[in-house]
Amino acid sequence: MKELSLNILDVAKNSVKAGASRIVIRIEEADGWRTLSIIDNGCGMPPEFVATVTDPFTTTRTTRPVGMGLPLLKLAAEQTGGDLQIESSVVPPTGTTVRARFKIDHLDCVPVGDYAGSVVTLIQGSPDIDWLFVYNREDGKSVSLDTAEVRQILGPEVPLNLPDVLMWMEGALQFETEQQ
Amino acid sequence: MTVKELAEGLALECVCMPEPDREVEGGYTGDLLSWVMGRAQAGDAWITIMSNQNIVAVATLTDVALIILAEDVRPDPGVAELAERKGINLFRSPEAAFPLCAKVAALL
Repeated sequence: MKELSLNILDVAKNSVKAGASRIVIRIEEADGWRTLSIIDNGCGMPPEFVATVTDPFTTTRTTRPVGMGLPLLKLAAEQTGGDLQIESSVVPPTGTTVRARFKIDHLDCVPVGDYAGSVVTLIQGSPDIDWLFVYNREDGKSVSLDTAEVRQILGPEVPLNLPDVLMWMEGALQFETEQQ
Repeated sequence: MTVKELAEGLALECVCMPEPDREVEGGYTGDLLSWVMGRAQAGDAWITIMSNQNIVAVATLTDVALIILAEDVRPDPGVAELAERKGINLFRSPEAAFPLCAKVAALL
């Protein structure tokens, strides 16, 4: 992937598929490291599946024999000297946490890219999930969006995937200097 | 031209060749796997410097005829066995991607 945002899109789909009602996507930058965490409360994976999940020939897809979401995220992280960790549990069903670490100043570290666009695409596809997005940048600036909060403000009759609502959320995720 | 003929023509070192009679119809080069995944065509000779198990997955998805590892790159441990198992032809060469591409183009 040329951008971390595309990896986020791919991997967060796994959480949706796991039936999660809450998904947290967090990017933390500190001490030269960028850490992406995707945390869901979905059905989780048994240990033997977790052990093989970064193998591209392991997939729950039925349309083709190969799944590339986690293998490519792992590769992207390791190419910078970072790593990928997965914690998951079925009993008790505590969901799944995927954590990828990137060394920011490594030449092979891809840019974050259109993070807001990916987030909005995810909300559009699954507007009923409680999404929490947090991006704390190395320069101390941060943006965040909690769709449970947005839903509370708008009221239950307003779906989050209305074009105006999506556009507003995309704007809310822009860093100050990027705003027109 | 078959994979076997192309490999001989380029003097490639064979890592594994489960499908020697596969027809080679074109070529592609690239190392960003997600990019290659959407662009390499079935029957291509794919030239890359990536050597992990994901190349076998990309080759499976795109149905390329063979993978050529350029610049003397060696497949990571276990990748040769995986390629054999998945029916992916895998070769290596001391040459860089650019001269390899030129030679593939000249042969096809």
